[in-house]
Amino acid sequence: MSIQPFNAANYVRRRTFSLIMDMICTLAAMLGLVLLALILFTLIQRGMAGFSLSVFTEPMRSQGGGLSNAIMGTLMQAGLGIAIGAPLGMAAGIYLAEVGRGSRFASVVRFVNDILLSAPSVLIGLFVYQIVVIPMGNFSGFAGAVALALLAMPVIARTTEDIVKLVPDSYREGSTALGARDSTTISRVVVPAAFGGILTGILLAVARISGETAPLLFTSFGNYGHASSMFEGGMASLPWAIYTYAKQPSNELNNLAWTGALVITVGVLLLNVLSRVSHYLVSRGRSQ
Amino acid sequence: MKFMKNQLRRTAVGAIAAIAALTSFGAVASADEITGAGATFPQPVYTRWAEQYAASNGDTLNYQGIGSGAGTTQIINRTVDFGASDAPVAPERLASNNLLQFPAVIGAVVVSVNIAGVNGNDLHLTGPVVADIYLGRIRMWNDRRIAALNPGVTLPAVAIAPVYRADSSGTTSIFTSYLGAVSLAFQTTIGAGSSVSWRAGIGAPGNAGVAGAIRNTNGAIGYVEYAYATENNMATPQLQNRSGAWVRPNSAAFAAAAATANWASAPNMAASMINTAGQANWPIVSATYILLPKNPTDGARSLKVMRFFDWAFNNGQPAADQLHYIMLPESVRAQVRQRWCQVRSNGQPVWSGCH
Repeated sequence: MSIQPFNAANYVRRRTFSLIMDMICTLAAMLGLVLLALILFTLIQRGMAGFSLSVFTEPMRSQGGGLSNAIMGTLMQAGLGIAIGAPLGMAAGIYLAEVGRGSRFASVVRFVNDILLSAPSVLIGLFVYQIVVIPMGNFSGFAGAVALALLAMPVIARTTEDIVKLVPDSYREGSTALGARDSTTISRVVVPAAFGGILTGILLAVARISGETAPLLFTSFGNYGHASSMFEGGMASLPWAIYTYAKQPSNELNNLAWTGALVITVGVLLLNVLSRVSHYLVSRGRSQ
Repeated sequence: MKFMKNQLRRTAVGAIAAIAALTSFGAVASADEITGAGATFPQPVYTRWAEQYAASNGDTLNYQGIGSGAGTTQIINRTVDFGASDAPVAPERLASNNLLQFPAVIGAVVVSVNIAGVNGNDLHLTGPVVADIYLGRIRMWNDRRIAALNPGVTLPAVAIAPVYRADSSGTTSIFTSYLGAVSLAFQTTIGAGSSVSWRAGIGAPGNAGVAGAIRNTNGAIGYVEYAYATENNMATPQLQNRSGAWVRPNSAAFAAAAATANWASAPNMAASMINTAGQANWPIVSATYILLPKNPTDGARSLKVMRFFDWAFNNGQPAADQLHYIMLPESVRAQVRQRWCQVRSNGQPVWSGCH
């Protein structure tokens, strides 16, 4: 093959094409950023209208009131949901990456997990309605937490598997060479090495489930006051409060719905930042 | 590295401990709460009653307006302590699901409009005209049939946007029963029911959803329980009643219609107050009903429901007046308390006033 002589026309054509493509890509990226900024701007602008200290101290009322019961409900349901979902998801993820790696059963589990990951959340709610709400004979925050756990579990299983797979095999080989059993290798070497990433996955799952409305409508049902029990009777949640107040014909309650949306967004944003920071700290610690 | 990891692990352990503490706090607190679900039509008054009841008795009621249809399903599934429906439930369905039905309060459905530049409160509409709007036969606000009812009002050439309930709704059942009673065309093509096949318009969930859709749409017409219209300053046209008189929606007009109800001969206490004759009567008035299991698994909870409504029958008048609901006549309240004796747990009536 001979080197082609420099062709000025070709060069200009390629430069122009590259420039146009660069511009399209930049525009696409900017569009995404502008949309995000617009959403956040609208949220802050509308959300601040109903914002006051009583949002955090007063429960929902037919007139006025705040969102304290909904904030509390979301904390309790998402908290219990993650307390159930995280250990199960982590165990499944570790199994897929370590124990069952490459086995037929693991690929079936992985496939089913991916289906669960993309299942419409309202279906999860109806499923929990059938297996928890009807047998228990009442709606409850517990049923809501079970639905949220089912949503969090596949997310955590997926991220755990991906992160654990990233741990270099030399770690495992070193541990085995020192005479450690497989279980010791996993619990003392592999999981600690991947801990930052696993934690990130859990925090992302928390962020995802705290914004869910559909799985809660027929599990934790809703409550205008503070729930008297986690196991009996409905419980409020922020997404449910937004859903309920957004369709009310009263401006005051609509504003409160925006405030609820702002509270949940800021909360989720903080969690995301927390997960980034924790990941950064861990990876910096590892490289030292 | 080791330090960071320990720090992180400690944070995670702390978070889990905090969650456990929160959760167990919820489990320990007492469970003196009753749960009801269903009709949005009486939700304003039930909610107000519940707030006052909690203040005076300490027991709380969690009432969720999920629509009459959904409320009936929930009590059939026994996931709530009581269901609520504006449309009386069919006797066979009550019997096969072992449910007791009793009226709780009386309310009115009003027509509400949003036409820029027109004072909707002074608008005059008849039942057949409203029926034709919902049939899609009258499409513009300056239609000559509407103009003929409103001499002197300048009606804009704006398209009419009928709003209806998207969910299975007792309010829809009441409203369509009325339209069916005054319009043969409506009766034969759409008919009365909790969820019907509308020919035209926008669907919205719940009374609040319909009210919101009317407020946000120029040219809209819709139907809501009166409390939703007054609480939100919505325009409510006058209707022509069966006796040919024009009536504005107000408590006096609702009470006049409620007084004509024939409770004695109504099976399951489902007395009709729709399209009644009388100069002062508002034409779309109805009782709203409560559904209780006759064989509760937990009699104490059913008793709490009865205590709540007993309290409301005795002390609910001020809230009902304020929100323009009509209390049941005293004789009917006594009849309802008597019916509570049909609710039995371990062979014994749950309600204390039974012999």
